[in-house]
Amino acid sequence: MRGLILEFIIKYGYHVNMSHNFGFINRFSSSWKIFIQNPLGKAGLSILALFALMAFASFWVHLLGPMYDPMTGVDPAVSHSVGPNTSHWLGTDFIGRDIFCQLMEGAKIAFIVGLASAFISIVIGTVVGMVSGYAGGIVDMLLMRMADMVMVLPSLVILLIIAALFGQLNIWMIVFLIAILRWPAVARVIRSQTLSLKHRPFIEASRVAGASNMRIIFKHIMPNVLPLAFLYMTFRVTSAILVEASLSFLGFGDPGQISWGMMLQWVWSSGHMFQAPYWLLPPGICISLLTLSFYMVGRAMDEVLDPRLRKEGKE
Amino acid sequence: MNRIVFISKKAVELFILFFLILTVLFFLFRLAPGDPVTRMVDPMLTPEDAAHIIEQMGLDKPLITQYVIYVKNFFTGNLGFSFHYGEPVVQVIMARLPCTLLLFTTSTLLAALAGVFLGKISAWKKGSRLDGVLSISALVCHTLFVPWFALMMLWILGFKVGWFPLGGIISPELWIEESSFLVKTLDVLHHMLLPLLTLFIIHVGSYLLLMRSSMLSVLKEDYILTARAKGLTDRVIRNRHAAKNAALPVVTSVGLSLAFSINGGALTEQIFTWPGIGRELIFAVSNNDYPLAQGCFLLIAAVVLSANLIVDLLYAWLDPRIHY
Repeated sequence: MRGLILEFIIKYGYHVNMSHNFGFINRFSSSWKIFIQNPLGKAGLSILALFALMAFASFWVHLLGPMYDPMTGVDPAVSHSVGPNTSHWLGTDFIGRDIFCQLMEGAKIAFIVGLASAFISIVIGTVVGMVSGYAGGIVDMLLMRMADMVMVLPSLVILLIIAALFGQLNIWMIVFLIAILRWPAVARVIRSQTLSLKHRPFIEASRVAGASNMRIIFKHIMPNVLPLAFLYMTFRVTSAILVEASLSFLGFGDPGQISWGMMLQWVWSSGHMFQAPYWLLPPGICISLLTLSFYMVGRAMDEVLDPRLRKEGKE
Repeated sequence: MNRIVFISKKAVELFILFFLILTVLFFLFRLAPGDPVTRMVDPMLTPEDAAHIIEQMGLDKPLITQYVIYVKNFFTGNLGFSFHYGEPVVQVIMARLPCTLLLFTTSTLLAALAGVFLGKISAWKKGSRLDGVLSISALVCHTLFVPWFALMMLWILGFKVGWFPLGGIISPELWIEESSFLVKTLDVLHHMLLPLLTLFIIHVGSYLLLMRSSMLSVLKEDYILTARAKGLTDRVIRNRHAAKNAALPVVTSVGLSLAFSINGGALTEQIFTWPGIGRELIFAVSNNDYPLAQGCFLLIAAVVLSANLIVDLLYAWLDPRIHY
């Protein structure tokens, strides 16, 4: 999202070829060691683990009783928003639903939206990038022009106009739309990586051995670009979570799911934003922290993949 | 000559893209469930007026003719009538455009300038405590959730401390009375500061990080070594040799990250009730004012694309090596 993605395009797209450092699986353990020594990586991963725990906990919320159901549970003793107390750790919203339970449910939705949408856009971006880089010529030009075009479109505005025409979007629709609007940056990076791989001896060798283009792309090029795609996924997750939250905040989210953006929408539209900091703070902090932690993990992975950065870090 | 070719190529490309957007929008409006006629004609109108608009937009003609009329209408500035305002859409959105441009260009320029400056310092002092603080805060700014951050600003600086008004662009009482131009300008500035500050903080982080990494890679170049060998002072090397070259990718990124800035801008406008295009779009979508929504969308697309063209012009002007 925003400038940072471009930073990576600039770095991987135009300056550095580091494919020979890849071979992800056999290097996994050494990479992991470097990754976990990185303070950013450690911090990011810890926060992520915490949110993952929250998301998993949301599956067992119903055991607490119907009163704690994030969507329909209403505390009969509470008729309006109250602050934190012993039965509701973070207080309740305007109709007496437990905020902490909503937060946990929101964590689940954030993970689903972020990971699913990032995965789809990575798949599209990787395939387009590999085909474009490998095929070259007119195919390359057309695909990259298309990527340039999609890249300049503001995703939230597009989602808004689609929501206006087609009514309420459900969560999977939103996931899919975010994904198809956000693949171009990935495609660009994967393409330049593919370009540098295309004339390596091992690709030439497999062509001489009679491998088809399909086989070369998916069997020989793909393993070499996957780590980079994986790195990109962390940034796509961030962007997808933010777009979904913004859409929900504006009141166009999936009405059947509780997301953090929607919680903020409730604070705002019910006029509690100046009266109920216990309700305003948690969802925003969660969104910002979760996206930050994905970012930190991404940056730490970046250092694993780019040895140049690593040496600098130890100066 | 090369530059002219490059720029005209870009302009043609962006024009084609705009045409594609226009076309996709046309078909989306016809494909969506429901009757396209009710979408473009206000249900509150009298049958005669409705018939007039239907005829004007060609809604009773075959799809191809409709499309031709639609494109012609667009280029003659006829985007239909807003249901809510009862005025031509063009009139409504053109009244909103200056507000958006004012907020948007000021915040983008300020954020880019500050980001470039801070990123330069951060990269120059790499590894120092200052660099650490700057990078971490940039990362935090960068991942902030815009609406929430805007609400926090509004709550703390607007409501708790009370330094800034809670929304809008003017205080009506000042404008009803005969106030001097200066008073009015200061009033608008006072209303603008809070959304401006919000947008600035949201955007400055990404420019800083981008400039930092760009500067770090430039500092490894041979010409920096040459400059050092010549015995130039640090200041000259940093500002003249390194920063100038490092700022180029930042210029490109202004264009490419516009899409994100537009998203953030719309959300900020909505929260600070800033009467801009983004807020109008959200309003139109919430109230099923389809002609207005379509107009806002097309205008935003046009703004994004022309800003991209301006950035390309700037880039071609800044970088003498460019040849396409």
